Amino acid sequence: MIIRISLLLVLASLPVFLLAELLLWLAVPGLPTVLTTLAMATLLSGFAALIIAGLWDVGKIIVRSALDYFSAKQRMQRRLWFVQARQDQVKRLFYFKTRQIKYFNELSRKRLLKLNNRKHIRSLSKAIDKELLSIKTKLPGTTYQQLQQDHARYRNRQDIEALLTLQQKISTLV
Amino acid sequence: MSILTNIIKLFHSVKDQNLKWHLANQGDQAKLKHGRVLAEKALEAELKKKSVQLEHDISLLRTKHDAELSMFKTKCRQDVKDYKQYLAALDQLKASIQASYTHLPEAVAFTIHHHAKYLLNKMWEAEDFEQKMQHEMQLIRFMTTVHEDARLHLEGETTDNLPERTLNLIGRE
Repeated sequence: MIIRISLLLVLASLPVFLLAELLLWLAVPGLPTVLTTLAMATLLSGFAALIIAGLWDVGKIIVRSALDYFSAKQRMQRRLWFVQARQDQVKRLFYFKTRQIKYFNELSRKRLLKLNNRKHIRSLSKAIDKELLSIKTKLPGTTYQQLQQDHARYRNRQDIEALLTLQQKISTLV
Repeated sequence: MSILTNIIKLFHSVKDQNLKWHLANQGDQAKLKHGRVLAEKALEAELKKKSVQLEHDISLLRTKHDAELSMFKTKCRQDVKDYKQYLAALDQLKASIQASYTHLPEAVAFTIHHHAKYLLNKMWEAEDFEQKMQHEMQLIRFMTTVHEDARLHLEGETTDNLPERTLNLIGRE
């Protein structure tokens, strides 16, 4: 409706402008100025009607959406989403807690294994030491030293395979 | 002047039409409005019911999770305890074989013990039950062989200086 009126006003202003131009061309005094003012007023009122209607509509939309946002239905919907998010959170928390327990369990198992390994490596190392000492006199000094250094290095590295190989090597030397 | 009159006429006719339309459709409009309000109310009630139900579910889920977690924790603690006992048993195995074969080189005892530990870890780290059982059987077989070797040597039924059967088993595996 408003659009129709404003369009009519704009269209009506056009012939008035043309008339004013024609009168100016015919050099009629006074009348063109009045007609131009009238046409301008019509044109501007057409635009103004359009702008005011637009602003009014925008205002209405804003108010309506604000009311809709705070309406009971929307509030309930948001609450539901919130609760759903919390449920997901609870599920995630359970998963991560399980992972955490598993991780700490594995860690304590590894620690036990490491302690046990260390204990047995120590006894193997003692045996190697003993064997080395028993053949000390039969070996050249540099070989003995080299073997001892290797032994210390492997023991510090907790390298089981290397210690066993070293022990075999010492056995073959005898 | 006539344009203005026309515009006013147009305005009035539009207004008339509008009024007539409103009059004709008043009932329908009221019904529509009423229906919309009812639907909105129903939706609201449904949403509310859903969220209350969900809250209830969450509290149930929390309780369930708490119970499961505490059970899982106990199980894990028991697992570590079992592992510790297994390690002690393997230490015992080493000690027994060393006690039987008095001249057994430390490296051989170490190798036997290390292999047993390797089997134990394989059993512990197996993902599915079938594999776990298989590794457990392997470990038990190995431990039995070691004990058998120790017993035979202690009773003087073999004259070997080394637990040959155990070493053969290690070689095969």
